[in-house]
Amino acid sequence: MIKSIKEYLHQLKNQLVNNDPAIIQDALSDAEEHLRDAYNNALVVYPNMSEEEALAQVIEKYGTPDEVASAYREIEVRTPPALARRKTYTEKRSSFARFFGVYADSSAWGALLYMIISLGTGVAYFTWTVTGLSLSAGLMVLIVGIFVFGLFLLSVRGLALIEGRIVEGLLGVRMPTRPRFSDKTLGWWDRFKNLFTDGYTWSAMIYMLIHLPIGVFYFSLFISLIATSLWAILLPIFQVGLSWDRITSFTIGGTSYQFPDWFTFVLAIAGLLLLTTTLHLAKTIGRWQGGLAKSMLVRKDTY
Amino acid sequence: MDDINPADKKFLKELSAGIAALVLLSVLDRAGQPVYGYRIAKIVEFNMGSVSMVKQGALYPVLRSLENNGLLNSKVEPSVSGPPRRYYSMTDLGRQTLDHWTKIWGDTKDFVDSALKGVDHD
Repeated sequence: MIKSIKEYLHQLKNQLVNNDPAIIQDALSDAEEHLRDAYNNALVVYPNMSEEEALAQVIEKYGTPDEVASAYREIEVRTPPALARRKTYTEKRSSFARFFGVYADSSAWGALLYMIISLGTGVAYFTWTVTGLSLSAGLMVLIVGIFVFGLFLLSVRGLALIEGRIVEGLLGVRMPTRPRFSDKTLGWWDRFKNLFTDGYTWSAMIYMLIHLPIGVFYFSLFISLIATSLWAILLPIFQVGLSWDRITSFTIGGTSYQFPDWFTFVLAIAGLLLLTTTLHLAKTIGRWQGGLAKSMLVRKDTY
Repeated sequence: MDDINPADKKFLKELSAGIAALVLLSVLDRAGQPVYGYRIAKIVEFNMGSVSMVKQGALYPVLRSLENNGLLNSKVEPSVSGPPRRYYSMTDLGRQTLDHWTKIWGDTKDFVDSALKGVDHD
């Protein structure tokens, strides 16, 4: 017999323990939203009903934790996340087609876009986190510092959710789709303590800080790779086609050189290979980055 | 409905797999405005009458999968009385899909009905 919504959620979580943390979080927030609504409603509609009976009735209709858990498992098997739709026919193609097929792979372009915007998001997260931390530390001598700090910790969770949406959309890694609710019965001080003692708040904050150097690295790496490949690919057009010597020549020790015309075509092919490799690299790093984001931004210790 | 026998339960479960998606799409289409999970569950329950076809908890993963496939949109809004609620609404793709599925359902229903009645063919 389940005695509280919290206990229900705990059992539901245990049922899903070996599943994707993002499904667990979805299932828990769906259940919490529904059970609270249904329970409050039952108490209003049947004022004579005891709280235990109301809860039992609500759970009877919603389903036991193991019924609900199996419903999520079944659906999840059939639903791939956003861009990461795996194409099963790829395995049968030749290695040549697989290598160049990356141009038609939306997850590679998504990952490349992620690498390029990660400089901007990295700067934004870092600035916000450092400003928030120092402002809170400075104001901590005043009572208002506690509130500022609390708001700042909440905002870090908000940022973690936004980053989660970006990671899911561009890297195709399942991430939680909504914030976890705080327990309505707790007072402000207890909620603040929960926020403060929750390891997830801090791992999200560390993620925000390290995202700056990581973002700078991704951005520089991929912009350089793309610029180099585009230069090499376009070189024969500039040199042989348009004769733009000022662009295509380079100066070493006062003497001006130019590649022989035939060599620019070799470089163009090399550039094409480099661009393709860049997309593969983006995909691989994207997978790694998705794993990092998941391990630092998705809570594992709910309830 | 407490003592539903295992064979019935299995049959209902297999039947409900696809039907839940169709029912949810049509509920949201007729609502004409964003609706949150508990309201959807109440509407479904009201339509369901005495058959306990699906548990309410099994509707939510279906809603999420419909959203992941672009048939529904959702947004979270705070509520006065409890936790924030996720409001679901139809997309254009959802409406088109509902039309197709309604037709498929109609054909299926005719086929099953005629098979059950055992209409003689000459």
